[in-house]
Amino acid sequence: MTEPDRRAEGATIASPGFSGTEALQDQDPLSLEAEIPTTPMTVNLGPSHPAMHGTVRLTVTLDGETIVEAIPEIGFLHRGFSKSSENSTWHQVLPYTDRLNYVSPILNNTGYIMGVEKLIGLKPTERAEYLRVLGGEISRICDHLTCVGAIGLELGAFTVFLYAMEARELLWDRISELCGARVTVSWTRIGGVATDTPPGWEQRVRDCLPRVMELTNEIDTLLTRNRIFIDRTRNVGVISGDEAIDWGFTGPCLRACGVNYDVRKAHPYSVYDRMDFEIPLGSRGDTYDRYVLRIEEIRQSHRIVLQCLEQMPPGPIIIDDWRYALPPKKDVFGSIEGVMAHFKLIMEGIPVPAGEVYVYTEGANGELGFHIVSNGKGKPYAIQVRGPGLPILSALPRLIKGHAVADLIPIFDSINMIGGEVEQ
Amino acid sequence: MSDSGAVTTGGGQPGAAKGQAQIPAPPKKVKLLVDGIEVEADSRDNLIEAARRIGVAIPYFCYHPRLSIAGQCRMCLVETSDAPGRLVPGCQVRVKEGLKVTTNSPAVKDNQRGCMEFHLINHPVDCAICDQSGECKLQDYYMEYDHQPSRIRVQKLNKPKREIFGPMVVYDAERCIMCTRCVRFMDEIAKEPQLAVVERGSHSLIATFPGQPLDSKYSGNTVDICPVGALLNRDFRFQSRVWFVNKSPAICAGCANGCNVYAESRGNVIYRLLPRRNEEVNQVWMCDEGRLTYHATNDKRVEWARTGKGDSAASVGPRIAVDRVVELLKPLAGQGGIGVAVSAQCTNEEATAAFQLGAHLGATHYFMGGQRAGDSDDFLIRADKNPNTAGVRLAAEAFGVKLHDIQAVDQVKALVAMRTDGLLPDRLGHLEVFVAISQNEDAASSEAHVTLPCKSVYEQDGSLINWYGRLQRTWESVPAQRADAAPGWSWADGILKGLGASGLESAAAAFRALAEKSPHLSGLSFDDLPEDGIVLEGLLPSEWPARAPRPAPGAHSVRGPQTTPPGTKVGDEASGGSR
Repeated sequence: MTEPDRRAEGATIASPGFSGTEALQDQDPLSLEAEIPTTPMTVNLGPSHPAMHGTVRLTVTLDGETIVEAIPEIGFLHRGFSKSSENSTWHQVLPYTDRLNYVSPILNNTGYIMGVEKLIGLKPTERAEYLRVLGGEISRICDHLTCVGAIGLELGAFTVFLYAMEARELLWDRISELCGARVTVSWTRIGGVATDTPPGWEQRVRDCLPRVMELTNEIDTLLTRNRIFIDRTRNVGVISGDEAIDWGFTGPCLRACGVNYDVRKAHPYSVYDRMDFEIPLGSRGDTYDRYVLRIEEIRQSHRIVLQCLEQMPPGPIIIDDWRYALPPKKDVFGSIEGVMAHFKLIMEGIPVPAGEVYVYTEGANGELGFHIVSNGKGKPYAIQVRGPGLPILSALPRLIKGHAVADLIPIFDSINMIGGEVEQ
Repeated sequence: MSDSGAVTTGGGQPGAAKGQAQIPAPPKKVKLLVDGIEVEADSRDNLIEAARRIGVAIPYFCYHPRLSIAGQCRMCLVETSDAPGRLVPGCQVRVKEGLKVTTNSPAVKDNQRGCMEFHLINHPVDCAICDQSGECKLQDYYMEYDHQPSRIRVQKLNKPKREIFGPMVVYDAERCIMCTRCVRFMDEIAKEPQLAVVERGSHSLIATFPGQPLDSKYSGNTVDICPVGALLNRDFRFQSRVWFVNKSPAICAGCANGCNVYAESRGNVIYRLLPRRNEEVNQVWMCDEGRLTYHATNDKRVEWARTGKGDSAASVGPRIAVDRVVELLKPLAGQGGIGVAVSAQCTNEEATAAFQLGAHLGATHYFMGGQRAGDSDDFLIRADKNPNTAGVRLAAEAFGVKLHDIQAVDQVKALVAMRTDGLLPDRLGHLEVFVAISQNEDAASSEAHVTLPCKSVYEQDGSLINWYGRLQRTWESVPAQRADAAPGWSWADGILKGLGASGLESAAAAFRALAEKSPHLSGLSFDDLPEDGIVLEGLLPSEWPARAPRPAPGAHSVRGPQTTPPGTKVGDEASGGSR
């Protein structure tokens, strides 16, 4: 962390113990202050580099330490999301959505299922709505913790990473109790969710949240007013609000520029209109603001989680209609009606009415949109995803141009690119 | 067949011209409203068919466009302006000028839901072990019209679970919904009333008569038209789930009738044949014997090319095998004493290639082989058990060669056999060179000096000509390659090229070579043959079995799709399945 700031005008390498200064100054051509002639150098960063988030490659052209140009190359994590979805029933698409943003999969599950429900004209049960928001906000905390922890790690603050991981593990334990998996949850269903909260789960969430917030505050204390951290992040990777909109930024990266746009407030869906929370905003649009904003959003998500736990009504977690929801196993194995419904739903899928919808929700990194086309069959005709990461990644060359190579990783981390949603 | 006089003259109908069916009176057009949409229907339509014209589906189990009306299942009840306040069966009520039909009123929907609930009262929880799963009307209609949990709290009735009805069909009475389609089919289409309804009420079931099994040659069709899993094909039962198989069009290779079928396959194995609708060949039916013809494609195949016979036989690659054939035949070419045997199981393209090869070798004798003739009837079964006798004769005529009986092979010293059907092994011993292009391992192919594996009719592109002169396409219906098997024409192509002649690059090229020589095929192109075939007028017979489907009047002069003459009922049973 003691590397001097080479961006500062006239920086010199000086050490108090160094005594040969005068002698060197006599030999002008060899002076350390002399301009070192450099030739542009092209360096490959990634695709499999520990500091790259997801499998992405940056072809960086350097002039000395300065980044002249950076070309991100994606495609190493391409899974054929759209095409795979066309060959899967509506429910079989769910596991693919898990893998769009694998740190906050419940948010993706919810976004996709809301699209299908919109096509059908179906409203999930109230408890399911609360469960989705609850699970989604816990996921959002996990996502932000990952980003914040990683940015600390990459600037040398390994402790921060460990704190963030401890908090994330606590939450992922709750997620796995709720969904049966930490990351690949596939938890929502058309008309509801797959599993209800296990006994005592809500209390366990209440019990672990204080520790999560304690760790978050610890991270906040360690980083937010840390001189070194501020020096490395303040005014680094700056983008203005207007420019960010032009690039298609959404989510924390856009709000860090001071633009107040959050789908949860701008176009409230599910039960977000019943939640009391605020949208934190940045002002400079630099790496520091993107970091601080995520810390603040963790606190807001914490508020939403507590409100959900407070307000969540008892009741069914999925609608009681065998055209959409799988029958209970008792009926599947015990009645011809149940086994037929199960067979048709599994083998042929839900016949979703023909039509075309675009649904957008607030993912952890911005607006997560699903454009879904149905031709009335049991499988989607087409699905396209508006992943928040792609427009932001597109702006990465613009963000890091002119910065030192050492700033590349913090900037890259602060946009929190997730390979899964950038490449579908 | 009970009333069969195997062949009658004059088309079987008084006053009908040669090869033509009686011309029916043109149907009257009737306009009615179905769910508020105007439909122009045929006056002979019932409400189900009228609604189908505009894509409105009235559900039914017991109705079948080719069978009499039973009104048994009550699923098709709709409201009409003629009988306000009550429901009428859509299968039984004919269209009428100005009639208003409602298919989606609450009363109709409630009846459909109630019907499904009643049908399911005694239905066993069998989907997981039922062959019909995936093509079952109960499953489809339950999800569409009922989709509610069971309200029945009493024990389901137990009935006979596996009654062997006959060689082809097994019956599960618990799954049966008593639509009586099978009973009506046996009475009206097969004309062998071998099935009946016995017992009463919810105890009723379908049964055969004492001492009289369901042994009709058309019994397999009862399985196809059974809307549920009550009647099952014993040949197909438990062999494959229906959603795992690929369904592709083919022509049955069982006899000269050339029934249009679907071959259902997975990998290189065929699992079953189902009839494919063609009004002028097989309507929507096929015979039991035909259903089993796919076994020759699955079993006892010549998998790899081999040279030598008996102890000296060795499997070789296709190129080495062809080289060996060339090596054997080259010294003999033009010397005389060479014979070419062509089986009537060959496609036109294979026959063409064989005759072309014979011409290049200077063959002196040509022989016609094939499966032995069998029984016949006046409906779909022809005595000639080969799919392409007419085509091989046409090709021989085009090449100007005379076909001898296959038993005369002792007159030659070298023989090339395009398929070995009908060759007797005890007449082959004297041959100096015997090249067999053979689909199955048989006594003749084991006598060959070189054996080349041939694709079956279901596995290759080609064309066949049925008994009355209908030229029909076959397709590569089984997509997966089996060992080194290749179409017969492509083996001949390799040998011709090895001998220094020009070959036949594709089935289309072989067909072109034939069409250039044969006046019957002039102007036809392989790639443009319609899916349902073309009638070659010059081949039309003068005598027709009484009930054999035949070209619609004048249709054979039309070169194009012709299986759906105007006014014909287009039902989902046309898919060949039970729907």
